[in-house]
Parts: sequence; structure tokens; C-alpha cells
Amino acid sequence: MKGGWLRIYAIVYLIFLYLPVALLPIFAFNDGTIIAFPLQGFTAKWFLELAAIQALHSALWNSLFIALVTATLSTLLAIGAARASTRYKFPGKAPIMGAIMLPLVLPEIIVAVALLVVLLQLGIGLTSWTVIAGHTLICTPFAIAILSSSFQGLDASVEEAAIDLGETRWGAFRTITLPLVAPGIISAFLIAFTISLDEFIIAFFLTGAEPTLPVYLWSQLRFPTRIPAVMALGTLLLLASLIILSIAEYARRRGIARTGGKDSGGFL
Amino acid sequence: MIGLTNVEKYYGDYHALRGITANIPEGEFFSLLGPSGCGKTTLLRAIAGFEHLSGGSLTIDGQDMSRIAPHRRPTNMVFQSYAIFPHLSVAENVGFGLRKRKDINRDARQRMVDEALDMVGLSGYGSRRAHALSGGQRQRVALARALILKPKVLLLDEPLSALDKKMREQMQAELRRLQRQIGITFVLVTHDQEEALIMSDRIAVMFDGQIAQMDAPQTLYRRPSTRRVAEFIGVMNFLPAARVGDEMFDVAGLGKAFIDRSQVMNGAGTDCVAGLRPETLSILFDGSDVPDHSFEGTITDRAYYGDMTYYDVVITPGTAPVTISMKNRAGRPILEPNTKATVAWDPRSLIIFGA
Ligand SMILES: Nc1ncnc2c1ncn2[C@@H]1O[C@H](COP(=O)(O)OP(=O)(O)O)[C@@H](O)[C@H]1O
Ligand SMILES: [Mg+2]
Repeated sequence: MKGGWLRIYAIVYLIFLYLPVALLPIFAFNDGTIIAFPLQGFTAKWFLELAAIQALHSALWNSLFIALVTATLSTLLAIGAARASTRYKFPGKAPIMGAIMLPLVLPEIIVAVALLVVLLQLGIGLTSWTVIAGHTLICTPFAIAILSSSFQGLDASVEEAAIDLGETRWGAFRTITLPLVAPGIISAFLIAFTISLDEFIIAFFLTGAEPTLPVYLWSQLRFPTRIPAVMALGTLLLLASLIILSIAEYARRRGIARTGGKDSGGFL
Repeated sequence: MIGLTNVEKYYGDYHALRGITANIPEGEFFSLLGPSGCGKTTLLRAIAGFEHLSGGSLTIDGQDMSRIAPHRRPTNMVFQSYAIFPHLSVAENVGFGLRKRKDINRDARQRMVDEALDMVGLSGYGSRRAHALSGGQRQRVALARALILKPKVLLLDEPLSALDKKMREQMQAELRRLQRQIGITFVLVTHDQEEALIMSDRIAVMFDGQIAQMDAPQTLYRRPSTRRVAEFIGVMNFLPAARVGDEMFDVAGLGKAFIDRSQVMNGAGTDCVAGLRPETLSILFDGSDVPDHSFEGTITDRAYYGDMTYYDVVITPGTAPVTISMKNRAGRPILEPNTKATVAWDPRSLIIFGA
């Protein structure tokens, strides 16, 4: 009977987790402005309405720009940090790595408020770049976690073997290490991209005149007539995130398969 | 060929190499033998250029190496883990070092790769994925990949330790044959004394970052310069001894004997230790003549190995037994414990160490 209870628990758990999310696409296609059952009929007009909102487009472009820059910065920083933490011994390594990974568990609102205070004190105006700074701070630990497992799975002597065979240090990194950790890099980049794209709190505090997509979405919730369109937008965001994360996980697994290694975690 | 002079290496406070001096001539099969952690890998990596020397000098072919980066040294290395590039094919692995050589075109490269694969017995494996190979095959790929560049020195870090016994013995013979065939200097790191004895022209025995003795295998085995070297290579019985005349020694349980100076190692004073290899002692079976030098004892234990039997024999009750190895021949009985035995020994195969 124990197995039976566990099964019920698991099912209830999954319903609680995903039912609200499942409502999103349902109402996105519902032909009515009121979010309530019974459903009114099928329509795609909310999606078409999205296409007509100019402010939405600029928010979307802004979000994509921020996510792209954030993902690039986080991944570059993470490559250095992950390589250093897995390959070298240096004094103070544990506390330094701890400090870098801390934003992973720090409440985002604390990070956001702290950054806002610092920026205001420094007299730096709020722009997309301040959001990028905040997002890079929270995305880098994720990228490091992914890349650390890539670097860990790498035999440290393959790079030396390449040097031994005539490559320079940089040449060995480029021809051997980079291809071997490339799946990890792609995975880290895409996950950082998704986190930045979906992130709300930091963006809300640090954004300037141009809101990001989640911030724009939140601002529209005040207008009841806009809610179905918000649902449609949410559906699209959800879909995009799922696709990107699937690609990230595929890249990670393919990398492991290619080098004949063993799977040791990952986020998905 | 390789000249090491007072080489020192510190890792922080840790003194990993302490005044290593050695000359390795061209074409020699040279081994670094010692227990784990004695600094063998560190020395090998220093020769390859992966470790900076904290002191002393290293020359290869008369050229000082202190300012030569690892990728420009005339050495190639077979790593302990083999360090095969897992995302490349066997042929790409083997041909990796040739990509930088502008003087070698595609066809020539292909031919050289084929030759190298042939040399290590992997013809036809070129298109295989490297990570799908067995341990022995990886080992061969690593070897071909290093040798294709025709280095002046091949460095091997415990290349056989990951292989099973049969494979290891086969590779030992093959490595030896390869080295004779191409005639370059091999520097092999190993902690396996038998492997070092079988393969090397000369062996440096290392303890705690120092070379304890550097000699040909036979010299090392027959004339180990210290007790520690003697214990590390093969088995040796140690008996308390005393110098009673200029070249006269009294060995506990064995009696007095004349021992030639060449068998007396540095540091042997009045009180000393006599060393005897198990195979230099032999149990006399019924009917043999009793030679000049022999002793009586009681067998306390025996271990049967098929081709050999090892006996533990106590000479004086209450003292440690000596180990004797006997070839098992037709008509020769395997003696049981608690049997009395007469054992012959030869002063010419006895070594005197400092106490
Ligand atoms: N990079 C390093 N940093 C600190 N200590 C090291 C390093 N490499 C080796 N050592 C130390 O130096 C000693 C010799 O190591 P090594 O040359 O690998 O020994 P061996 O190959 O003989 O087993 C060991 O005690 C080891 O812990
Ligand atoms: Mg070693």
C-alpha cells in the first residue's frame, strides 16, 4: 500500500506544479476577456492582438538583447571560473568559489535592492545595461555549475598532450579543450539566456525607460481587457523557454556521449 | 643526451626533487623506479617542460632547456592516462602533431599515420573513434602519436600500469623491441621493479626526491648500494653481522667468512648487516655433498608457486626466518614445515651493508 500512497502523492504534486501553467495556454485560446470557466470557444485573436502592440515589440527586443548579452557575458566569465576551479589549486579557492556561487541561493529581491542602492549611490542611471549587470550576476553561477561538470569530466592531461605534440597553450585550449566542453558551453549559454529572458524581480528594479518583456507583461495585468493577451504572451514565453532548455539538455547529453563519459547530473 | 644537474623542485614548501644529477646517453632505455610519491612523475614532467625547475639545469642534446617551452622540446610523452583526444578518430589522434608541420602535405601525412599505426600493430584502426578503444589499444595510439614526431626522447609515465598482467607482459616486450628498432632514448617511469629490470638498460632508483642508486639492472640487483634499494628490488634476507678482520665477517647463524671488498657497501662499520637473496641459498636434499659454507635450520613455512617453492627457514630458534627459493625439479621433493634442513650459501653472493 505504501507504493500506492507514494503514487498518489506524486500525481497530486505534479498537478499542483503544472495545473496553473496548463491554464495559461487554455485561456490564451479562449474567446472571452474573463478568465473563468466555462470556456467561451476557440480563438487565436489574442495572439494576433499581440502582434499589433508596439510597446510589446520594443519590450521583446529589449529582453532579447539583454538575454543575449547576459548569456554571452555569463558564459565567458563561467568558462574562466569553471576552468580555474577544476584545474588549479590557489589560496582562498573555496571562499572565492563560494562567493561566486552565492547568488544562486540569495533571494533575488535582496540582490535587486542592493544593486539598486549601489547604482543610485554611484549616480549611474538605470538602463538595459544595469539589468544586464544584475542578470549576469545571477546567471553566472548557473553557467559555472554546468561548465564545472564539463571541465571535471575532462582529463587534465589531454591539454598537456596537445602541448606536448607541438600546440601552444592557447592552441591546445582551442583545438582540444574547447571542442570537448563545447556542448557544456552551448548548454550554459542557453540556460543563462532563458533565465535572463524570464527574470522579473531584478529587471523590475533595475530597468530604465525600456521595460523587459516580463516587466511589460506585469504592467499589463492592471488592464483586465489585456489579460487574455498576457496569457497568449505567457504561452509564447513558456514555449520558447521549453524549446531552449530542451536544446540545452540535448547539447549537454550529446557532449557526454561524444566523449564516452558518464552522465553526472546537470539541471534537467 | 639528457643532462640533469642538481635538479631541484619545490611545490610550495614541499621539496619534491632533491639534487637530481644524471646523464642519460642517446639510445638508452632508462627507467625511473621508486615507490609512489617519490617524485618520478615530477622529474619526467620537468624533462617534458611541464614543471619549472626550482634549481639546477636540464640539457637535451647539449641544449639548455630552461627557456624552451614544452611544445618546442624534442621530447614526446606517453601520459599515464594515455590522454587520448576522445573527440577525434584514431588517425586524427596519431596525426595530431603533424598538423603543425607545413612541410608535410596531406598524402605524406596519411602515409606517416599509416606507418605509425602499423608500427604499433593497429593497421586498419585509423577511422575508429578513439574513446571506443580498449586500454591496450589506447596505449598503442598514445605511443604512435608520440613516435610519429620522431622525438629525440620518448617519455613514458607508468604506461603499462593500467593493463592486465598478460597485456602488460606483451607490451613490455613490444616497447623494448620498438626502442631497439628506432634507437631513440626512452625514459620510463615505473613503480614495478620487475618491469624496470626486464626493460631497462639502466635504472635510477628514487626515494624521497633523490636518486638512491643508478645502475644497470644486474648491478642493481646483485650489488644494491643500500638496504632500502635492496628491499625495494626483489627480496633480500638481512642478518646481523660484525666485521672481525680486514675482509672477514661473522654473520649471525652463518658463521665467519671472507667477503670481498666489492661486496662491502659504503657505511659498513664494525656492526653491519649481511644481505642474501633467496635464490643464492639452497636447501641440500639427501645425498648431496655438504659444501664449505652451510647451516642447519628448521623449515617453518613454505609457499608453492608451481615453478618455484619458497621456504622460510629458522636458523636459531627465536630469530626471524630466512627465505630460500628453490626451483622445482623432477625428483626434488616439496618439504613440509617442521622439517630439518641443511642450507648451502655462498660468500660471493653476500652483501654487507651499514647497520
Ligand atoms: N602540482 C603539485 N602540487 C603540489 N604537490 C605536488 C604536485 N605534484 C606532485 N606533488 C607532490 O610531489 C610528490 C611527488 O609526486 P610525483 O612526482 O607525482 O610522484 P610519483 O610519480 O613518484 O608517484 C608527491 O608527494 C606529490 O604529492
Ligand atoms: Mg607518478
